[in-house]
Formats: sequence, structure tokens, C-alpha cells
Amino acid sequence: MTTPLLSVKNLRVTFRIDRKNTFEALKGVSFDVMPNETVALVGESGSGKSVTSLAILGLLPKENAKVDAGSRIDFDGKNLLSLSKSEIRELRGDKISMIFQEPMSSLNPVFTVGYQIKEVLKEHKNLTGDAAQKRAIALLKEVGIPSAEERIDYYPHQMSGGQQQRVMIAMAIACEPKLLIADEPTTALDVTIQKQILDLIAEIQKKHGMSVLFITHDLAVVGDIADRVVVMRSGDIKEQGTTKEVFANPKDDYTKALLSCRPVVDSRPKRLPVIEDFMAGRAEAMRLEQRSRGVKESDPIVLEVKGLAKDFYSRDGLFGKKTFHAAKDVSFKLRRGKTLGLVGESGSGKTTVGLTVMRLHDATHGEAWFDGKNIFAMSEKEFLPYKKRIQIVFQNPYASLNPRFTVGQILMEPMIIHNIGKDGADRSKMAFELLSKVGLPEMSFYKYPHEFSGGQRQRIAIARCLTMKPDILICDESVSALDVSVQAQVLNLLQDLQDEFGLSYIFISHDLAVVKYMSDEVMVMSNGEVVEHRDSDALYAAPQHDYTRKLLDSIPKGLHA
Amino acid sequence: MNTAVMNPSIGIERSPGLWSLAWKRLIADKIAVISLAIVILFLSLALASFVGLIAKGWNNEVGVNYAPPTWFKGSAPTEDLSKKQAVNPTGPSLDTGLAKPEFVNDRDPLRETVNELKQQLGQSAGANSVDEIKIVDPLADVIAELKKKLGRVGDEGEKETESTRLQTLAFGADKWGRSVFDKVVKGSETSITVGFAAAIVATLIGTFLGALAGYYGGKVDDALNWFYSIFNSIPYILLVLAIAAVLNKKGILTVVLILGLTGWASIFRVVRAEYIKHKARDYVRAANAIGASHSRRMFVHIFPNISHVVLVQLSLYVVIFIKSEVILSYLGFGVGVDTVSWGSMLNEAQNELILGYWWQLGAATLFMAILVTAFSLFTDALRDALDPKLK
Amino acid sequence: MFAYIIRRLWQIVPTMLGVILLIFFLFNVVGGDPAYLLAGKISNPEQIANIRKQLGIDEPYYIQLWIFFKQVVTFNFGQSWSTNEYVSSIFATRLPASLMIGIPLLILETIIAIGIALSVAYVRGSLTDRSVMVGCTIAQSISILVYIIVFQYVLAYKFGWFPVQGWGNGFFENLFKYSALPVLIALVVSLAPNIRLYRTFLLDEMNQDYVRTARAKGLTERRVMLLHVLRNASIPIITNLMIQLPGLLVGLFLIERFFSIPGIGREVILSVERSDFPVIKAITVYVALATMLANLAADLLYKAVDPRVELK
Repeated sequence: MTTPLLSVKNLRVTFRIDRKNTFEALKGVSFDVMPNETVALVGESGSGKSVTSLAILGLLPKENAKVDAGSRIDFDGKNLLSLSKSEIRELRGDKISMIFQEPMSSLNPVFTVGYQIKEVLKEHKNLTGDAAQKRAIALLKEVGIPSAEERIDYYPHQMSGGQQQRVMIAMAIACEPKLLIADEPTTALDVTIQKQILDLIAEIQKKHGMSVLFITHDLAVVGDIADRVVVMRSGDIKEQGTTKEVFANPKDDYTKALLSCRPVVDSRPKRLPVIEDFMAGRAEAMRLEQRSRGVKESDPIVLEVKGLAKDFYSRDGLFGKKTFHAAKDVSFKLRRGKTLGLVGESGSGKTTVGLTVMRLHDATHGEAWFDGKNIFAMSEKEFLPYKKRIQIVFQNPYASLNPRFTVGQILMEPMIIHNIGKDGADRSKMAFELLSKVGLPEMSFYKYPHEFSGGQRQRIAIARCLTMKPDILICDESVSALDVSVQAQVLNLLQDLQDEFGLSYIFISHDLAVVKYMSDEVMVMSNGEVVEHRDSDALYAAPQHDYTRKLLDSIPKGLHA
Repeated sequence: MNTAVMNPSIGIERSPGLWSLAWKRLIADKIAVISLAIVILFLSLALASFVGLIAKGWNNEVGVNYAPPTWFKGSAPTEDLSKKQAVNPTGPSLDTGLAKPEFVNDRDPLRETVNELKQQLGQSAGANSVDEIKIVDPLADVIAELKKKLGRVGDEGEKETESTRLQTLAFGADKWGRSVFDKVVKGSETSITVGFAAAIVATLIGTFLGALAGYYGGKVDDALNWFYSIFNSIPYILLVLAIAAVLNKKGILTVVLILGLTGWASIFRVVRAEYIKHKARDYVRAANAIGASHSRRMFVHIFPNISHVVLVQLSLYVVIFIKSEVILSYLGFGVGVDTVSWGSMLNEAQNELILGYWWQLGAATLFMAILVTAFSLFTDALRDALDPKLK
Repeated sequence: MFAYIIRRLWQIVPTMLGVILLIFFLFNVVGGDPAYLLAGKISNPEQIANIRKQLGIDEPYYIQLWIFFKQVVTFNFGQSWSTNEYVSSIFATRLPASLMIGIPLLILETIIAIGIALSVAYVRGSLTDRSVMVGCTIAQSISILVYIIVFQYVLAYKFGWFPVQGWGNGFFENLFKYSALPVLIALVVSLAPNIRLYRTFLLDEMNQDYVRTARAKGLTERRVMLLHVLRNASIPIITNLMIQLPGLLVGLFLIERFFSIPGIGREVILSVERSDFPVIKAITVYVALATMLANLAADLLYKAVDPRVELK
């Protein structure tokens, strides 16, 4: 057996939170990365996966992070933890390099990309002038930047997110490192771009014979590219093994749950199994119980939108005005108790449609018929009684609840505004009922939002909508910011509520698998236009439009690829 | 604990809100606690002086002219001087003392410079009081001046001058023998009153306009921004001086109005930016979605979330305005002669320093530095406590 | 770019009109008839009558406003009420002295403040950092008056290292002899707030992701701080400098006054003391204009430092 290139042994890291409290981010983590191998470090937020990668490079904040004396990180025969500051600095960017989640903020905005690449070459290879220029262009070409000779002088903001990440990769491989650490390199990117970057990393890994430590929260992403998988949770390693083993025959309940709680396009169980289900041993049974979706002409219509358009304006030139068409001629019918999925990449206009439908934006054109009236033509006052019947759950659970209100106040405010309930006692009774409906303990009523996790906050936001007994609920990327296991729980909750109250959903997401799971009909949007709009099963089975096909091809397939 | 009683069925304590969490962080910070204690001490000093518990007689001549601080008694030249003053009250006026070689001959080589300097400095210090007749009986002059200024009954002042005056005082005495300690306490009252009152005026105006501009945007924002840019384009001190020139009226109220009405621009900018940021936040959109009115979104939803910014700005203002008041009063555009300010003390002290009487300068500087330092440190701690992410 | 400058210049117009209105409101409406103000200051009734006529005091407000507006546009504010000197000549003769103090101050202050801010930001949270910060707070708490009084007394009067006050005719005489102590005092006063401010700018940048990337690339700390961090922090620093620029003209009024330096700031104080309205009005209007132009210049400089800025 060959010796590992990187060997992390019993890594413990503690963070000092304030004078008294500390937090153990890593509780003794051990794993190896062999030469020429891709290892995926998988875990949800708070699992310690990013701390691990920063510890390897010696980039933990020195003010408050402490690495335990018994820990070892052996790389190429040296213990990285015992190296001097300058020794480890010389390794960084040369033998070990790293790419990060947000390419935009990870590149220095005031230097050209060429300058930033040449900086590495100068630092480690002492390459300057023409030689450096040539090498930098070659690198940009290698990572697939078109017309590299010209773009070498671009500033980061002049490039798209995908290109920025390619530049980061070019910078990382400039010195032919032995190990590339990729920390969530595709999370901030659209699904089609994600696929390109994943392919690029895999290709470069093969070509240069590097090792890659790939850090991600999404197991599905690593199926294609990783040789081995390490699953982490709360600073511990839950399971590690070859990708095949872990995917085909997971041993740990947590791994099992991670693998199956993420919706996939080819199966639609009635409810998604979560960790508790695996612990209780009922997950297998759940997987078999399928749900059928789709709409019939006879289903009653709650909302009909015709020719919705929304323009935004910006200044241009001396007197000019530039118009940006965020949504163009969008029409659809939403049926009672059904879900309309709205899918597209960033900038496709899907969120604009959602916000315009409920008049958080004013529509530039179009009509929205609800309960026999065109709600777009109403004055603010006329609209008020209809307002409560169309509600929205936003993406960021940390921003959508007023931090200065208790949960009780948050839930009772809409009731006060819309005169729901007789008095305070009646309202608080209803609030308690709703809390238990969304699966939160009663005492949550007295707490503030900052005391809850992301998933719990999303439940509170859902409960707030339910206080007004809406007909339509718009879910604007409502589960996108959540970890997969929490996402499954919230999706199950939304399903249960739809079953119970006959709610109609407009479900907006960039995640095709989630949209497929939730929707009866799906609209695919691109550049403000609807490119395809059909029953979800039909659309996923046989996409008609090229763009839809491209989107579907980009979905990470796990091991099935 | 109350809440546990209020909700016995649940039996949990009400969770701490963000304010109480911030308060906990604040009192965990030693510097914050100490500076808060000092600020409170100053506030009670000002209050006590306001209701007349202390420093009531700041205008009485309780000591000999330029009585040194008690602990400084041993020092030779000043003691000499004060004794002479006490024995011979009809001695040469100290106002013109610079010109009298017998008192300053140790500095003879520099006398010309001193004179020159004095003339220069005298411009605002009332140099026109230099008068031959007054030199003969400086105290009569001083008393007359005071009487004129204060409209005080004549014999009362008379009595005080006749009564035995103290040779030394805790913080020394000024030109007329008034206690520097009483003056500096009274000065604290003035500074704190002006600082807080003007800060509140500026904060109210700036916050209200900033909230309107930031929340509504569009035409409202354009109009208010235009108004703001006018105030912003004139350097603050220039605007203050211009208004002082026009009003040509002294007094605490005038200073408060000048500072408050000109100073609102910086908080306007900050609050406007906060409102622009917050109105796009999901929680405000959610409030819109549930049907909350504009005023409800503006004041019930957004305001509590930016109130920490307002609070920090308010305390920054207190510091700025205290410093501005000192400068205004120094220049003679501030509070009137019927009250005392650290600024007017510095003005007097500047002449005294050349004569070697440094205690009025020292006391005013010390008090001001302690208050302003404590207040600034408290502001920093407040900001950290309210917004832990910043640190 | 060109369109941007034109539009920005065009935007100055309404603000400038606002400034004119504000000044007019203050001096003509609130200030009222100068005859009352000047009664004790000018003995010659003819001169007062003349001043009233020039201002059009007996005319309706809109005529008075028009007179004032013409004064602003033609740069002709007439004569000072107390010295009869032409206001334009006051500007011409007072500006050099103010600049002689202001420019060396700005240069020294920027270099020193950035240097100290860089070193404390680098060791943020340490004892050195905290002591420097507390030191700055204390230094800021002492009135500028005290610095001037004490420095002038100790360094000039007692030790005789500098002239106590005064101003000469020679350029170098003024620069090295007469402005040395004033600049030193202004430096001491302005360093503390600027160090604090620049430290915040630097810390903001040091928390950015690109700094982590630069370290991951294996760059030396020196290069990370002096190149990557400083270059980005220079964007807010430049804005701050440009905003300070017009304030320098009048901001040093106390120092100019104490040291008898014939600058604009001292002129402001003298005019306020003498109720010399034409001079105050002129200075206020033109300094406001200078401020707006400086803001425009700051935005143009932005473009030079920050490639992300698009001037549209």
C-alpha cells in the first residue's frame, strides 16, 4: 500500500467564543488522502468540514482558534502543524492550494485576474515578465476561458461567476500542486455552471495527477467525481469508505438519511424519509409509498395570470434610461390544492414573477384574476382584504422574521391587522395551535427568532402565513438555504399542509429535483421568459425545449451517472 | 421570573430579547461599566448643580484672587503673588498685570512678546476693559462689571469682598477669587445640558427625515436629499459660525438650537441608509405581505431594528456637541456671561497661564477629558454590545 | 465618463441654489436690517445707508435675492463692511496662508495615520492595539483649545523652539518657521480620529474573502497587508481625504487665530465678531461650491482606484 499524501490524525480544534465559552469544532478527526485520489468531505453546516480544510493550510484565525497538541496533519512526510509560519506559507499555493465557495469575493476586486495569477508564479516559481504572462495565458486556456489573451487583463467583476471560479482554479493549479482543496466550489453557482466546474476539476485532477480534497454539503455532487467519501457531522466523522460502498451500502443512519432525504427526479415518495425515520426503521416502507402529481382540466382555478410583465429601469448616459425586462409575458393558471413549480437559473425572473403576483412589485403589464377580480388593477386599499389570501415564504430564514419580535408577536400581528380572532386570548390560542401544527414546541411562543435554527425559523414563517388562512402560498426558494436533512423536513411539512388545507403553491426554486418532487405543473423560465410549461412528470420525462434539456442534464445524479 | 408567574402553565422564563442580550454583553465589559459609572457620576453632578445642591455660589468670590489649589500651596511664586493680592486688594489689576514689570520681571526678556500675544488674545477676552482708572481700583471694576452683568444687588457683592477670603481652595480660584471647582462643576452642567439637548434635537430631526427619505425613496428621497446636500456642502463649523453671526445672541438655548439644527445631517445619512437597507429585507416584505401599513412598517418593524444605530449616533453627537460648545463659548459665541462653560473657562485660563496660574486650565481640561473619554469609550462599548458582528 | 461629469456638474446647480437660498434666508430674513447690527460699529450714517442700498433692504425679498444671486454669479460681493477691503481681494490674500498650513498637514497626517493604522490593525485585539485605541480616545477627548494653548505656551513661549505667532512674507520662512508649530498642533489633533477611522477601513478589508485567498496562495503577510489590503482600503481613505479637503480652508480657524496667521479661517472668525456679513456670505457660498467640486473629484478618483466603479 502506498503512503498517503495527506494524513489527518486525531484533529481537534476549539474556538474561543468569548472569555468563558469555547466551542469544539472538531472532535478528533482522522482520514487519509492518497496520491492521485479525490476524497470528498461531506457534511451539513456546523459539521466542521471547512474548519478541517482551513486547519490543513494553517489558515485558522489565530486569535481564537486552538489546535489540540495531540493532533497531526502529515503531508508529504511533514507534520504541517509543527511547521514554522514561513515554511507553511511556502507550501501554500505551491504544493497545496485551495479554491473557495464565493469566487467573486475570493478574488481581489482591484487587481486584474492576470496579475493575481502571475503573483503566485512569482512567489513560488520566481517566474516574471513574458514567461509569467505566457504561463498565465496557458493556465487560463487550460481552465477553459475563451480568448484568454484578452481576458487576462480583465478585472474579476467583468467576468461571470463560472469564469471567476475558473480563474480561481487556474490560480490554484499554477504551481502544479500535489493537493487541491476545493471548499464548496460550486455551491454559489447555477446548476449548469456547477456541472461544468465539476467536470473541469475532474479533468484537471486526472491530467495533473493531483489529489483533490473536495468539500461539500451535497452528497449527490460527489458521486461522479470522488473516489472516497468521508461523512462528517458536528465535528465527528460518521462514516468513511469508497464512494461505491457509501452510496450502495451506507452503514450509518445519518449517511443513509443524507442519501435518501434529498428528492430525486425519478422517484416521488409520499413523504421524504428523514433521520428519525431511519432510526425508527420505517424509512424503507416510506420509500415505496409514492405520490402521483399532475393537473386535470376540471380542477378549479384559484388564480389566473395573463401576460404579466415587469420592467426595471436604470440610468444610462446623459439622459437615457435603460430598461431591464425581468419578466416578459408570463401567463399561467393556478389550480386549487395544486402546486405550480417555477424553475430557472439566477436572473431568469422566477422570483420577480412570485413577488409581482402578490403585489410586492407593481406589475408593468398584465392581469391577475383572483376570486373574480383583477388584483393588479386594485388600489392598495381595495387589495388589503385579498392580501391575506396570498402569502409568501422567503428564502433566507434568518432575514424574514423581525428579530425584535417574539414568535408570539410575529404570529399574532397578522391576526390583529386583519381582525382575526376575538381578543388577545383567542389569538394566542390560535397561535399555539399553529405552532404545534408546524411542529414547534409551545414555549416557542415566548422566544425570539435568534434562538431558532434555520429550519425552525422557516416553520415559524410558514405558521405566520397560516394565521391568515391563505388560498395561495408562494414559496420563494423557501428550502434552498437549508441543509438537506432539514430541507426534507420542511418539504414534508409543506406537503402535509397542502393535504390538510388544500393550499395552492407557487413553488419557486433553482433546484430541479425539489421542484419535481413538489409540483403538479412546472414552468421553466430563462431570461424573463417562460420556455416550457407542462405537467411535471411529462416535462421531466421528455423535455421539449433545449434549455430544459440542458438543465435536466446538469442535475448531479449521485452514483447513477 | 415575573414571566414565570405570568405563564405558570408553561413554567419557562421569557427569553431574553436582543436588548437584554446587548445589555448583558455591555455589563460584561469592564471598560464599559467603568465609563458608564463615570458618565452617571457626571450626570448626577450636573443634576445636583442644576437643582442647586452644589456649585450654587460659583459666582461668589470665596477665595483670594488666583488662590492656588490647596495641595499646591507650597509652590513659591504663586503663593507670593496670592499673598500680595490678599494684603493689598488695591494692587495693580491683574487684567493688565502683564504690563507691570514687578509681577512678571522674571520673564522680562519675553515681555514684548507677551504683550503682543496678550493683545492678540485679548480680542475676544474683552480687551477694551483696559483702562487707566480701573488699574487704581481693580476690584471695584470687577464688582461693577459683575453687577452690571448679573444685575446683582450691590451690597451683597460688596459684603463678599469685605469678608475674609480663603487663601487656598480645593482647585484654586480665578482672577476674581471664584472657586475653580464650583466653576468647573457648573461648567459640566452647561456642557452636559448643551451636549444632550442638542444631540436629542439633531437626532430627532435627522432620524425622522432619514426614515422618510430611506423608506419612501423616489420623490420624497430626492427632496430630502437635496435639503441634506445643502447642509452637507457647507462645512459644519462654518455653518455654525454663520448662524452665530446672524443670531448675535448668546445663551444655552441658542447654542442648543445652533448645534441641533445644523448637526442633523450625519444621522440623516446613516438612518436613511439603514432604512434603504432594511426596507428591502425579507422581514419588511413579509410585513407588507401580511398587510402592515407604511407607518407600521416604518416605526414598528424597521425602527426597533435600527434603533441601535440611532443610539450610537446619539452618543457620538453628545461628544461632538460638548466639544463644539466649548469652542463656541471660548470664542464668545456660546453661552452668555451669566453662566459658566468649560469654553469660557479656557478663555480666561489662557491669559492666566502666561502668569503661571494653570489651575483653571487644568481643571477645565481634566473634567472635560474625563467626561468625553468616558462617554466615547462607553459609545464604543455600546456599539460593540449592540452589534457583536462588528467586532 | 463625460456624460457622468456633465450630469454631476448639472446636479450641483440645484444644491448650489439651495445653499444660496439658505444663506439668503439666514442673513437677509433672519439677520434683518444691517442698520441695527452696524449701529455701534460704523459711525458714518452715510456708509450704513450705502450698505442698505447695496443690499436693497427696502426692496421686496425677491429683489434682494436677485441681488445676492448676481453677487454669487459675478464673484462680486463688494466691500467688507468693517475694513472696506474688497471681498475678492480678501480671498486672494488669505487663501495662500490657509493652504500653507493645510497642505503639509494633509500630507503628513495621511502618511502617519495610515502607517499607525496599518500596524495596529495587523495586531488587532492585542494589548498594543487596545492601548493605541484608548490613547486615541483620550487624545480626542481633549479640546483642540487645550492643545493650542499648552503647545503654544510650552513649546513657543517657554522653550522658544518656535515663534509664538506671526506670519512673514517669504515662502520658506512661512513654511518652515511660522507654520511648523501650527501644523504640529493640527497634526496631533487630527491623528487620533484618523487612525481610528483608517483602522476600521483596514479591518473591514482584512475580513474579506480575498485576503484568505491571498494567504492560501502563500503570499507573505507583508504583501497581503501592503498590497492587497491597503489597495482596497485606499478607496474609503481617498473619499475621506477628499471630503476633508474643503474643510481645511476653514477648519483650522482656531489655529490661524491663535497664531495670527492671515488665513481664511481667521477671516471667518473676525467677520463673525465684526458682523461683517459680505465676507461670511462669500466664504460660505464658495466653500460650499468647493465642497461639491471636491466630492465630484472624489468620485472621479474612485474610478482610478476601484475598477468596479462605473461612472454612468
